[in-house]
Amino acid sequence: MACVQGKAKIEGITERVFGMKKEEEKIDLLLKRNTSEQLAGVNWDELNAAISERLNQVQQSKTYGTRFPAILKIAAGVAAAAAIIIIAVMFWMDTPKAVRLENGPGAVVKFVEGKGSAKVEILDSKGQNNQIGNRSAWIIIRTREPEVADNGQSRDEADFACLL
Amino acid sequence: MNDSLKVKTSDIERLVKASQDGDRGAFDEIMRLYQRRAMRIAVRMLGNANEAVEAVQSGFVKAYLSIGKLREPKRFEAWFFRIVTNTAISQRRAAKRRAEKIKIVESYDGKKALSPVEKRIGEELKEAIQRAMLKLSKKQAKAIALFGIEDLPREKVAQIMGCSAEAVKWHVFKARQKLKVLLKEYLE
Repeated sequence: MACVQGKAKIEGITERVFGMKKEEEKIDLLLKRNTSEQLAGVNWDELNAAISERLNQVQQSKTYGTRFPAILKIAAGVAAAAAIIIIAVMFWMDTPKAVRLENGPGAVVKFVEGKGSAKVEILDSKGQNNQIGNRSAWIIIRTREPEVADNGQSRDEADFACLL
Repeated sequence: MNDSLKVKTSDIERLVKASQDGDRGAFDEIMRLYQRRAMRIAVRMLGNANEAVEAVQSGFVKAYLSIGKLREPKRFEAWFFRIVTNTAISQRRAAKRRAEKIKIVESYDGKKALSPVEKRIGEELKEAIQRAMLKLSKKQAKAIALFGIEDLPREKVAQIMGCSAEAVKWHVFKARQKLKVLLKEYLE
């Protein structure tokens, strides 16, 4: 009895294993069939040409990369230098300039809104020194007046700014 | 070029060395020798020839760009198939989104003069296989594509995948189990 049961068990296992094997084979067959059917529609010459085309593009960009690195480096250097100069000029334009008299006090000129240009002249009044040893001086600032309103209110504003 | 073509190791070594020295013709020869096998792997992994075309093209470009880094030319095949499978894995993400078709592949159904019902079933099956393959994990997809279709020895698949031969066996087993469920109606 036990022997019969054991045999039936083995047969059952064998059947299941074979069943599984069959299913696995079916899966593999299905995938293989799908692959070969899909590949049957591939135009190999066109694929070859497409890959070659992409390789040509890559090769071309590689060649440019090796041929022009020096030029690129120089261009980058020039651009960086230009950027530094521009930044330096902007910084310089915005900074108040100290003008020092010979053996006298300093004068500070700051342009209104940080724009424009002016010629600054400092003349010693040659008068007497005050109690703390300072002496007055003439400061002449020559600058262009606004073009928009030569005789308007802005003229007075410009003059006032100069006097300050 | 014959599908069953097996490339001699000495030939491929020579071509790889020449390619590393900048010989473009040698790389073109490699391309001709491997494009069918690369396509077979990619189609198996992606379940769709249009997507496979893109993956294979990118794979060759990547191989071309990095062939100089390959230290052992005799291991080209494993190295190249690793590139192709990794590219196909990356392609899977795009494949899920992509709607546009590439014109290189014609519909194979059209060539065989199938009845409209057969055509519909064929198209359905193709889509079902693609969906099922995209549901496998990366390792399962690689393992079943390389082991199942290319008939590569398990050790070589392990080398390509960067894992043990036992792990390959396990991934193939799990992949088949999943596919059995996902493609159940087409297996009867």
